[in-house]
Amino acid sequence: MAETLLWVLPLVPTVTALLMLTTRDRRILSAIDVGSSAVLFALTLVLAREVATGGPQALGVLRVDDLGLVFLLLLVVLTLAVSIYTVGWLRQAVEVGNMKAESLRSYFALVHAFVATMVVTVLADNLGVLWIAMEGTTITSAVLIGYHGHQHGLEAAWKYIIVTTIGISFGLFGTVLVYAAATDVMGGAGAMSWSAIMKVAPTLDPGIIRIGFIFVMVGYGTKAGLAPMHLWLPDAHSQAPTPVSTLLSGILIKCALLAIIRFQTIAAAACGPAFPAEVLLVFGLTSVVVATPFILVQQNIKRLLGYHSIEHVGIVALGLGFGGSVGTYGALLHVVNHGITKALAFFAAGTAIARYGSRDMHVIRGLFAVAPIGATLLMLAALSLAGMAPFSIFMSELMVLRAGIGHGHWVAIAIFLAMVVVIFAGLLHHVGAMVFGEPTAAAGREAEAWSPLLGMLLLAAIMVLLGLTIPASFDGILQRATEVVVG
Amino acid sequence: MTPETVQTIIDDLGALLLFTMILIIAARQISNAIHAVAAQSLLIAIAGAVLATATGNADLWVIAGVTLTIKAIVLPWVLHWVVRRLNVRREIEPVIAISATLALAVVVVVMSFHLSASLGTVRQAITGNALPVGIALTLLGVLVMATRKTALTQMVGLFASENGIFFTAMAVTQGMPFIIEIGVILDVILAALVMTIMVLRVRSTVDADIADLDRLRG
Repeated sequence: MAETLLWVLPLVPTVTALLMLTTRDRRILSAIDVGSSAVLFALTLVLAREVATGGPQALGVLRVDDLGLVFLLLLVVLTLAVSIYTVGWLRQAVEVGNMKAESLRSYFALVHAFVATMVVTVLADNLGVLWIAMEGTTITSAVLIGYHGHQHGLEAAWKYIIVTTIGISFGLFGTVLVYAAATDVMGGAGAMSWSAIMKVAPTLDPGIIRIGFIFVMVGYGTKAGLAPMHLWLPDAHSQAPTPVSTLLSGILIKCALLAIIRFQTIAAAACGPAFPAEVLLVFGLTSVVVATPFILVQQNIKRLLGYHSIEHVGIVALGLGFGGSVGTYGALLHVVNHGITKALAFFAAGTAIARYGSRDMHVIRGLFAVAPIGATLLMLAALSLAGMAPFSIFMSELMVLRAGIGHGHWVAIAIFLAMVVVIFAGLLHHVGAMVFGEPTAAAGREAEAWSPLLGMLLLAAIMVLLGLTIPASFDGILQRATEVVVG
Repeated sequence: MTPETVQTIIDDLGALLLFTMILIIAARQISNAIHAVAAQSLLIAIAGAVLATATGNADLWVIAGVTLTIKAIVLPWVLHWVVRRLNVRREIEPVIAISATLALAVVVVVMSFHLSASLGTVRQAITGNALPVGIALTLLGVLVMATRKTALTQMVGLFASENGIFFTAMAVTQGMPFIIEIGVILDVILAALVMTIMVLRVRSTVDADIADLDRLRG
């Protein structure tokens, strides 16, 4: 029963994508969208229960363990929130002409195809399938990034497809090298399956795995938005329609992180944990440092959030690099916290952009006076993103720090703390100016739409909850996921 | 065929592959670069056929056939069609001089051979010099993409990069799982399709090369 679910999960968005092509009515499309995301969410909860009682489930090239489950849960929660948000966002976007009413069905079909490919990357046990699905996410989301069809959108989409396709061809090369090392030990059958490779990982040739891991790190690191391969990320995040930006930042870059973690476990077993940890630390620190100045000088709010994502994948990489159970647990928790919070921030920014008709933070002023609930949520998201206690991101950043101190990485800790403080000040300065003060003339005065608010409140509730306490069942999943990584 | 013969043939094909890569880097006309990448794909298909005969792995025949049809014939034809259709700039505009790129290419090739010479016994898992040649082709493809400003040349670089990976993957003694190779080829086709549509779309709206747009900064 649980095994069949593994195949049903990616099929749900796939069938939905095809179903979308049968109608042009915006209401029906939105209804299918929300319905399908709810079904995906419910099925994942069933699967989570099966995994909690029966351990990892596998069928063919797909497999789910607690590590995959962490990412899968984030994926389905965000997909549901995005679907709810899209209802109201789309009505407004069609009214002002940002989205063309006649091409909505292809938009929805692409979104669900994108979700389907991401579900496969999370569930893939076969590293080749993982790569194919990852390239699938590039193709579907590249079209979505350029969806508005204007010159800037297409420029961002081109940069995205070129940079990430080069990137993941490195990932494929790394995969081939790991496969070659595995066939040397166990023969061709099953030498692409992550779970099978893990059984023989300590006997793999460390030299070739080392090169393979570096290729994979550069490859999937490009997709994860780690600096210096992040060049596509700010453009893509700022040009894509808001729901797509949310999917990119909240889920897609996390899927790439999961791929990195899979290879990290192989490399740690074959060459000792110190080697992959060092590579992760270098990329993590570079990302945090590179993102900081761009966050300070940014004027476009969606670019600001994009650069902020680079900082946060950097923090996750640092957590994985510091390692140990504390660092890994913190990194995995940070994946979830950042996904939820960043989605909330993109939603709130998207409604503000729609209200003012501009992405420029100098134009968006006095949001609180015209949209008090949206403004409050934007402020909450910014406080959490900046790392304010007691919000969830503060908790996971603290764990990453503790792991770093525990392992004596003083230089890394010093740089990390300095950057976090600077970003804290920069982000609150930007968002404070947007929320408070007198509204500019550009501000729309219409009432706040219910569906975007509902989507945002759902995420805000999870964000606050995870800051105060981690539910026992979710803590169990995170604990077991940490064991999968640390061993 | 004895393993030694196969190894010699693969090594010779590897040398020819590197030669076509140099032709791509040195090309001053887009159409020359497209011819060179088509020749490169043809060599990959021949390598597939040789390995299929040697190992008796029937899947490799299919992969060689698909590579021949798609990468040596259809995709280059599509690229030529786009060049004719755009009919604006046939000259390649390098970001850095072609001679400098060639010098860099030499460094990359030497490094790749040096890197794989440092590997131990696992080299037996991959036939002959397929590993260093594959690494070199992949990196040089990226070099082309990074140093050329036209969309079509960037696509040529991408295909060359993929060729490098394919060459190494074919030469892994056990062969790659069939379904994976087909999936990878399918992804390449879809990516090329989406890129072509984007190039044409930008050309039809603003009369500029998509790779040359640089409004998004900071």
